[in-house]
Amino acid sequence: MRPENYEAVNHPPSNEFELFFGPNHPGIEGNYALKVKLNGDQVLAARADGGYLHRGFEKLMEGRLWIQNIALVPRICVPDPVPMEVCYSLAVEELGGITVPERAQWIRVLQLELSRIAAHLFTFGGHAATTGMYSNMYWGVADRDQILDLFEELSGGRVYHIYNIPGGVRRDIPAGYLERVTRTLDYIESRLPDYDNLFFTNQVFVQRARGIGAMSQEQALEWGVTGPNLRATGLAFDVRRDDPYLVYDQLEFDIPTEQAGDAWARTLVRRQELVQSIRIVRQVVERLPHVGGPIRALIPNPLAWNLPAGEVYTRVESSKGELAYYVVSTGGDKPYRVHVRGPSAMHAVQVLENLTAHARLEDIAQIMFSLDACPPEVDR
Amino acid sequence: MFDWFMNPEGPMVLVVILIKIIALVMPLMLGVAYLTFAERKVIAYLHVRVGPNRVGPRGWLQPIADALKLVMKELLVPSAANRYLFMLGPVMAIAPALTAWAVVPVGEGMVIADINAGLLFLLAMTSMGVYGIIVAGWASNSKYAFLSAMRAGAQMISYEIAMGFALVGVLMAAGSLNLSQIVMAQQGSILHWFWLPLLPLFLVYFISGVAETNRSPFDVAEGESEIVAGFHVEYSGMAFAVFFLAEYANMILIATLTALLFAGGWLSPFQGIPVLEGLFAWVPGTIWLLLKVCVFLFCFLWFRATFPRYRYDQIMRLGWKVFIPVTIVWIFVEGAAVLAGLGPWFD
Repeated sequence: MRPENYEAVNHPPSNEFELFFGPNHPGIEGNYALKVKLNGDQVLAARADGGYLHRGFEKLMEGRLWIQNIALVPRICVPDPVPMEVCYSLAVEELGGITVPERAQWIRVLQLELSRIAAHLFTFGGHAATTGMYSNMYWGVADRDQILDLFEELSGGRVYHIYNIPGGVRRDIPAGYLERVTRTLDYIESRLPDYDNLFFTNQVFVQRARGIGAMSQEQALEWGVTGPNLRATGLAFDVRRDDPYLVYDQLEFDIPTEQAGDAWARTLVRRQELVQSIRIVRQVVERLPHVGGPIRALIPNPLAWNLPAGEVYTRVESSKGELAYYVVSTGGDKPYRVHVRGPSAMHAVQVLENLTAHARLEDIAQIMFSLDACPPEVDR
Repeated sequence: MFDWFMNPEGPMVLVVILIKIIALVMPLMLGVAYLTFAERKVIAYLHVRVGPNRVGPRGWLQPIADALKLVMKELLVPSAANRYLFMLGPVMAIAPALTAWAVVPVGEGMVIADINAGLLFLLAMTSMGVYGIIVAGWASNSKYAFLSAMRAGAQMISYEIAMGFALVGVLMAAGSLNLSQIVMAQQGSILHWFWLPLLPLFLVYFISGVAETNRSPFDVAEGESEIVAGFHVEYSGMAFAVFFLAEYANMILIATLTALLFAGGWLSPFQGIPVLEGLFAWVPGTIWLLLKVCVFLFCFLWFRATFPRYRYDQIMRLGWKVFIPVTIVWIFVEGAAVLAGLGPWFD
């Protein structure tokens, strides 16, 4: 880093310059980088630069037994771990031809939706923090903690539950658990007006988010956008309704959509999904006591469990979009290949590059958070 | 020019002035230290957390520990930086922030320099602060710092004008540029204070003040989620602390000025109210001023916890297209009121 090194490069006079946005940047979620080309504050082009969180999950899974991988998958996306476990379990069950008992399916839905609420609260916090308002972040994290307490009671783990296993779930719900779920939901519902006042209807935030990072429905479909980001462009596509898994076909819920496709619309969609998720959990709480039976299907000795050869593709709706597992078995006790189709891999690379290309420097972090991209899952 | 010094009373005057300066600056620095503590505590409670509570009883020694830490840290100068300007930046930031206090009265007759052009002096000094930021951003030779310097400059020109016009309104109402006389012109009751007749100017001045001190929601020059603390990203140790001191000294200055110009300064809020006025007559004016300053400082902290950051073009739009027209219109309204001798303010 000597001054003469700077002078050695003889650039033609230009207003353009390159800026490394990350990988250690307070406005970026996790370790992720963007190389942006700027003209003043205007971004001319952006190039996603991931890989700082690459832990090789897909390869690691090939070396572990079918059941061991359950401890690995929730680490792929930290804020929203349950869909990872459930989706992988669904894939293994489909390969092995195992039918999951109904009670386990209801418990899984309960967990999935609680996880969605927790993940959305976390995302709002991060999104607000990119605009310099940390109150929402602290509130969101504190309220999310209530849900983590529920997870802890159920599974022993706050973030990594390792609770859904191929065949069902590990334990039955404890006594009085559903009342505590209801109480937590009541509390979170009572907090929603506060969030509205602080964040969702805050005029400064609305001005900051409206029109930022907008994409049309055609672009969204072309770029492989799913989840709330797709629904914010007006297309009511939700795996839970359009390709139901578990017991989602027995539940009533709406699919909120917005038309604008910008950061503001994406935030609003998530805000409405909170209400829908609370609604779903309330239905589960009502139905679960009337569903008896085992919580786990009988599986062979998991340490010597050879699944029949074949390949499956299972998908679930995670809080960030469509999450899918493509699992290939050659008849051994380990997967031959596991591919994770993570929603963030689509959102944080191609979509982020395209949306930031004509944005301003201030909005890069906001666009990334409004896409709810999860860098650990991009790199896997 | 040495006549004054040869005069036997000359050195004495100098000593008195020095004592006055120390008497003002020491509490100010202590105030800055505890303002940072107050900020962390207030914002923590608004965030539903506890805030610093480990150092000393209930965390009361936290600012002292912070200061010690910063003093003992190494002062790094990036090799690609312009060394002299890099060191000059913090000095240029803090000098005007402290100099401005020379004309600020903290009580009746309690002022270092009771000059008639006080308001003008203040305008000059508060505008100088931005040079520290620009020089620091330029000398750091860092892209983030440079962007921040540009933003600070753009923000300053958008807000200085509105702020100046707001002060013109005060000048018209008080008929003086001397801050003590401006406070005295507000005597009567809480309704005689200038916040009521100059309500739009009061709001514009306070918001511009928030913008001028680079505080949230106008902290684009720092914008940690965008440009990573901006102009002081390359500074460490005491040089960083000096920027910090300047920012908080400026905050206290703006709060004090708002209290002096629009909220009656050291005048009691119970003036003109029959029983209460007598009841609180023993309270010294400085205490009233301190209370008012605390209220405005609390607003600074409150804003930070409840507003997202504006985008920098939005700030410029607000400054040029909203504040400046509002102040100009109100100056004309006020001019008409002064001509008509509208009581009880302009008679």
